[in-house]
Amino acid sequence: MNAQMKPPVAPSASSPLDKEPALAHLAEPSTPNAAASDAMIEVRGLSKLYNGVAALSDVTLSVGKGEFVTLLGPSGSGKSTLLNLISGMTTPTAGKILINGTDATTLPTNQRGLGMVFQNYALMPHMTVFQNIAFPLQVRKIGKDEIRQRVMDVLKLIQLEHVADRRPRELSGGQQQRISLARCIVYNPPLILMDEPLGALDKKLREGMQLEIKRLHADLGVTMLYVTHDQDEALTMSDRIVLMRGGKIEQQGTPEALYFKPQTVFSADFIGSSNLFPGKLSKDKGGLMLRCAAGAFDVPAADGAFVAGSAAVLLVRPENIMVETPADASGRQQIAATLKDTVVLGGIVRHFLETPAGEQIIAQELNQPNRARLMRGDAVKVSWRVDDGRLLPAERA
Amino acid sequence: MSSASDVSFLSPRSATLLVAPLGALLILFFAYPLILTVWQSFYEGGFTLRAYAELATSTLFYKVLRTTFVISFTATLVSLLIGYPVALHLSRQSPRKRTFYLMLVMLPFWTSILVKSFALTVLLGHSGIVNQALGFISGGTIQFPMVFNRFGAIVGMINYLLPFMILSILGSLLAQDGNLARAAEVMGAGPFRIFRKVTLPLSMPGVIAGIIINFTLSIGMYITPALLGGRQDMMIANLIDFYTRQTLDWPMASAISVVLLLISGALVTILGRVRGGAGVMGVA
Repeated sequence: MNAQMKPPVAPSASSPLDKEPALAHLAEPSTPNAAASDAMIEVRGLSKLYNGVAALSDVTLSVGKGEFVTLLGPSGSGKSTLLNLISGMTTPTAGKILINGTDATTLPTNQRGLGMVFQNYALMPHMTVFQNIAFPLQVRKIGKDEIRQRVMDVLKLIQLEHVADRRPRELSGGQQQRISLARCIVYNPPLILMDEPLGALDKKLREGMQLEIKRLHADLGVTMLYVTHDQDEALTMSDRIVLMRGGKIEQQGTPEALYFKPQTVFSADFIGSSNLFPGKLSKDKGGLMLRCAAGAFDVPAADGAFVAGSAAVLLVRPENIMVETPADASGRQQIAATLKDTVVLGGIVRHFLETPAGEQIIAQELNQPNRARLMRGDAVKVSWRVDDGRLLPAERA
Repeated sequence: MSSASDVSFLSPRSATLLVAPLGALLILFFAYPLILTVWQSFYEGGFTLRAYAELATSTLFYKVLRTTFVISFTATLVSLLIGYPVALHLSRQSPRKRTFYLMLVMLPFWTSILVKSFALTVLLGHSGIVNQALGFISGGTIQFPMVFNRFGAIVGMINYLLPFMILSILGSLLAQDGNLARAAEVMGAGPFRIFRKVTLPLSMPGVIAGIIINFTLSIGMYITPALLGGRQDMMIANLIDFYTRQTLDWPMASAISVVLLLISGALVTILGRVRGGAGVMGVA
């Protein structure tokens, strides 16, 4: 449907069907600085103070054309502030924003040529669905006939042609959010910002909408900057996740990189569930060993930052932990533990365990109905392959 | 909206008991005199339409009615033109600042209308501050008669009406989702278009409610036109007073009251039908 549409207002937009940049970024996702010509958004040293308190401090970020980037973080991490600065709702205290190659740091919002989807849809209640979607086209002084054509095309794309004459409040939440998406893509903005767009929807609808947004992103080749505090959503949708904390970027990378190679305790803890063993490193038979409350474990080979005598945290994901009766246990490193509780999540079983030292451990395995299940209170052995652990620097105080 | 189910822990009987004291008060001091007034307009020793027939042919009544409408319309229109920008400004303040400014708006509202009227006489009078300032600037050549004429009556009424207009419009401005204007801005709309296409249409319930409240209050206004207006600016309420106390023609006064009541009733009915207006009148 893009081919017959007029080019968007921003004259420098690349062809929406040109997916080269997106693929390039998938291949080399953690490159923090894309070449300037490939970048849709370039943020350099951006800071924002509110009454002397930093909501965002010295953030540098580049989003490539056609990329789907998610800003993920807890509330107060600065993700919404960053989005508001890019959309122009607020002005930065310091730093620079380039959108599509032009300096947009002080450009008024209405001249940035962006699209934006809000959590509460922000559809005009006094306008029909048709009028809502036609609004951005009227702003661009497009002829009546073309407006009708383009609005109907986009309604067809989201399969909601039949609601054109209804008011937003007559529609379900999911339908309203699709209309708000339609209102956004109808004028082909090269960049779409999404501020927790699915936050108001229930789980099932949310999953459907995630797929729909992914599909639109793939079909239109548009750049999307997506804000969420929901890690599952970020993992499902993004080409790249930018994890934020306290107004700074904690870590960025592909969903896989963030999940399997977190660089900090915060990253490990925020994305997926985790078992963390804080302790002290010591030398042992040429390798390193971590001494912690639960015991002493061999740790995987790590870079030079981790030396004997320094504090460190060992991360083991629940799915990498094996829970066995003491009799089955083989020669892997083990901790004795007691099974406190077991939760069955459909195809997955989650065990909550406690070591004699009082540490909590979560283990996760596939649900195998024909196998005898461990009972609450059972004494078990907990183990993992040394290489499945990941050494993290001790949390900064 | 779910208020009915929210109070379901009260049995109908105890709910009735709770409302009874207020109900009794209203029946005794509001409904009864009202019925008496209506009755009096038809009963002079026997049923008669004398008062209404006399009203229908009274040039004085028509003149006063016309004056009432012209003054009320002007006062309402000016309140709207002054009140809308104030409400818009208030709606864009931080809650703390807004509370402070709202107090300023409400200050005249909390002041006795009698005090306000006399204060305006002092301000606008022949040797009042305004005329003195004008005289000082123009070297004594410019003087405006600003009280005891229609201008004075209208200024006094606007002074009284403005808080109603501002609060009513402010309510519908604050009820608007701030993201709507933001969304329009992201889509490329400038401030003027956002106001014309989003802010203004969404505030119309408040505007219409404000107009009707102001107009209804205006046509029943008594003290202000009596104290600040001239002889030519007699309004309906003053005419009722005239028949009650000067000519002692109570059936006539009652008939005029009934007509005034009907006009106000019609306006309130319209208000109830305007979307959002019901909330302003407290009958949501």
